[in-house]
Amino acid sequence: MNNNKKSGSRIAAILLGGLALSFGAINASAQQTLTVVSFGGSYQEGQSKALFQPAAKALGITLKEETYTGIADLRLKAKAGAVTWDIVASGSGSAARAGAEGILDKLDYKVIDTKDFLPNLAGDYCVGGDVFSTVLAWNTKTFGDNGPKSWADFWDVKKFPGKRSYRKGVAGALEPALMADGVPADKVYEVLSAPGGIERAIKKVKELKPHVAVWWSSGAQHAQLMKDGEVDMITGWNGRFDVVAKDGAKVAYTFNQALLDYDCFAVPKGAPNKDLAMKFLAEISKPQYQAEFTKYITYGPTNKKAYDLGTIDAAYAKKLPSHPDNAKNQLTINLEWYIKFEAQAAAAYENMLSE
Amino acid sequence: MTRQAALPISVRQLTKRYGSLTVLDAIDLDVRSGEFLTLLGPSGSGKTTLLMMLAGFVRPDCGIIRFGDADVVRLEPHKRDVGMVFQNYALFPHMDVAANIAFPLKLRGVGKAETAERVEQALELVKLGGYGARRVDQLSGGQRQRIALARAIVFEPRILLMDEPLSALDKQLREHMQIELRQLHERLGMTTVYVTHDQREALTMSDRIAVIDHGRIQQLDAPHVIYDRPAGRFVAEFIGESTFVTVDVTEDDCRFGDVSLILGETPARLGQHELMIRPERLSILDGKQSPDINVLPATVRASIYQGDSILVQTLLADGTAVSVRASASVKPPAAGEPIRLGLRAADTYLLPDGAGRA
Amino acid sequence: MTVIAAPNAEGLRRDAAVERLQLFALGGPAVLLVIVTMIVPVGWLFWLSFLNDAGEFSLEHYRRMLVQPSYGRAFSLTFEVSFLTTAICIVLGYPLAYVLSQLPRRAANICMIAVMLPFWTSLLVRTYAWLVLLHRQGVINTWGIKLGLWEAPLPLVHNLNGTLIGMVHIMLPFLILPVYSSMRAIDRDYLKAAANLGASPTRAFWLVFLPLSLPGLLAGSLIVFILCLGFYVTPAVLGGGKVTMVANRIATDIELFFNWGAASSLGVVLFVLTGLILYAASRLVRLDRLLGGGSH
Repeated sequence: MNNNKKSGSRIAAILLGGLALSFGAINASAQQTLTVVSFGGSYQEGQSKALFQPAAKALGITLKEETYTGIADLRLKAKAGAVTWDIVASGSGSAARAGAEGILDKLDYKVIDTKDFLPNLAGDYCVGGDVFSTVLAWNTKTFGDNGPKSWADFWDVKKFPGKRSYRKGVAGALEPALMADGVPADKVYEVLSAPGGIERAIKKVKELKPHVAVWWSSGAQHAQLMKDGEVDMITGWNGRFDVVAKDGAKVAYTFNQALLDYDCFAVPKGAPNKDLAMKFLAEISKPQYQAEFTKYITYGPTNKKAYDLGTIDAAYAKKLPSHPDNAKNQLTINLEWYIKFEAQAAAAYENMLSE
Repeated sequence: MTRQAALPISVRQLTKRYGSLTVLDAIDLDVRSGEFLTLLGPSGSGKTTLLMMLAGFVRPDCGIIRFGDADVVRLEPHKRDVGMVFQNYALFPHMDVAANIAFPLKLRGVGKAETAERVEQALELVKLGGYGARRVDQLSGGQRQRIALARAIVFEPRILLMDEPLSALDKQLREHMQIELRQLHERLGMTTVYVTHDQREALTMSDRIAVIDHGRIQQLDAPHVIYDRPAGRFVAEFIGESTFVTVDVTEDDCRFGDVSLILGETPARLGQHELMIRPERLSILDGKQSPDINVLPATVRASIYQGDSILVQTLLADGTAVSVRASASVKPPAAGEPIRLGLRAADTYLLPDGAGRA
Repeated sequence: MTVIAAPNAEGLRRDAAVERLQLFALGGPAVLLVIVTMIVPVGWLFWLSFLNDAGEFSLEHYRRMLVQPSYGRAFSLTFEVSFLTTAICIVLGYPLAYVLSQLPRRAANICMIAVMLPFWTSLLVRTYAWLVLLHRQGVINTWGIKLGLWEAPLPLVHNLNGTLIGMVHIMLPFLILPVYSSMRAIDRDYLKAAANLGASPTRAFWLVFLPLSLPGLLAGSLIVFILCLGFYVTPAVLGGGKVTMVANRIATDIELFFNWGAASSLGVVLFVLTGLILYAASRLVRLDRLLGGGSH
């Protein structure tokens, strides 16, 4: 669902992969080799250091890392009957749809222990790896301390005049619109699933359209927009805003009414080492790995025990999307809804945008 | 196409320099109304520059150009109203023949019917009636030349400029066109300035020839004067074949070695002079002798049979080589044989002083 | 003595055949490259566009383009943007090419290097450079306001304006090059002849120079237009999500449908439309040649 946020310089990852490949070749006879694919860039670097390498060491296996651009790549491999990956990193929505499509294997939760996971972060085909939020962010120079607090404020151009930026894709674009239209968070997917629900949300977005200066399509872009002061209010992924805020960008955001979403790991159908993959996923789902990963980016652990280990600084923990204080004010993305309605909603959304 | 009241051209002090190179050096020139005047000179002599100044394409540094009474030196080219035939014809490739010829009429706001009529007249005049719909690239070189001419005269300019218009044609066609151009000029009577480096062309066509070299007019005269009485060594050498020998003029005689010569005209001063010998004016004497013919003794080096004539290569008494044509019907003289060459007194011409190379 | 009917005929014929073969061999690598890098992948995408999710033959991807108005709009926007870019390139590039063609050859060559200079930087870098210059608090708006030229920031980027600025900047050399070379090829004597026959510089331009430079202008415009049709980066970066051209839509569809077929069907339609335009244009150019543009 948020594939783009990890796209970027893949060279480092490719080099890493190449390195792993050469080690693999040496040790292939002695050890089992597992191939993991992710999105590259700083995201995969963090995964590699916090999850993949320590877990491989712990299991005594050889690890091969590769990069890809998204599930479409896997689909091609699956069609050609040449799946070489054991584990793929993916957005939750993409994985859910790929699972429904039949190119992923069901995960073995007898092996992978998710009893301490936050609710709804482990699906049939995909086990959560990190939690992020689509939040409402604003320019602190424009709004000072009286920033917007809710989606209703985001839509209120009289009270909060200024340029908006909103997502170009439909994912995560309809839920805020309905909340702004007065639908309580727990009723959002009910309304969206009912006839006319999608149209209602799109109508609300259309209302805001004249004030949207930029329709963003990647995490790098929405971060840059806030850094440049190009817009005054925006939606986007919390981790990205933290990065540019550290760089001096005048940006703040709220977890109130944010959309809680997660990235996950899946096992493709036809994976060469399926059983080992399950063991590997069980390993990286343990709290100590999850806690380690938060050091690289402000995305939260899916295993709530990670907060209890004491390795995450308490103040820092409060900034993570899955921290209980933050999670309670958020709406968790409903993957079933996306599997059923995304294509239809995307078509309608594109039409509204192109009008 | 009717005969036009032609305009005289008068040029004064026309000068053009490019840095240290003087292309035109204070030229004075008068072209008479209706005259066919040729600017003749080697390449780089300035003849083309002078023509381009008349057309308005080159801006002189100073000077006056009058068409009739009007000084046109600062007038833009498109306001000068002179016809011009370019060396490469410059027919517009994106227009057919008729459109090319109609171009100047269209610019002058001539109506459609009249334009069509005048275009056809012009085509008839250059003997290409009915060629209007042809594309330019379907024409032969000679036809293009005629079309260019038709385009230059269709708007009845009173001055016509031609920049080596025949140089791209083969020899036969060129000689044919020379005569046609001359006839056309006689019919239309416009003042014509014609640039060429071909002396025969100049001699054939012109009323007068201005021989130009190094940006100066070396001589301006009728063709036969230019040929027979060149004003200096340059003109003598540039036009026709000639050989020069040194003669000594005293009070009562003109001597070439041992030989005493009778002159056509008496030179202005005594002392050494250059005698111009046009080989075709020499004859081989066979005993009979008339008093107005100078006799130059010579030795035969070789006789070369050339079909229509025999070329006899000889050496004069002072060692100067001269070739003479003899009739093919006589017995060719053998090498080493002494012969006598005859030069009529009227053709015995001493080059004047001063008007030599610039 | 034996008399042979046609001495050496067989050998000479073989020599000629070998020579021909050698000539073909020279073109071989290029032909192979085209087949491997163009025909195979394009053919493969074409094939994919007729397969549905289940891998069966289907026109589903094409039907979707007809049913959803956003596709039609993406196509018309693509042609609109390409047309506008081409038009602006002509307006800016033609006079510049004219000036260059009138300069002495040495000076013109130096200026041509300046025109080519942008080719030395990557398209992505140039596009982001425009973003830096044009955005709300970018260099141009900051200075414009500081100097009192305008009061509120002008909407220079994240819209059609920015996209056009970026695209024109990239495409301009593609127009200037062929126009310049066709202008260089025009014999100066044509203009002299026009002037001599009574045409003012303005009329000489319209009646003679412009028609003679038209083949170059057509070629340049066509190159620019066709290249514009496939633009992705510039509208994505400078369009603010509002300029969805076909290439951008292809990217969106790949993300959305995880399916190359859905995306390649768009490519196929664009390919066919482009082919039609090329065909129409080639007719136009040939017509021009018929009018005598090609002779010299």
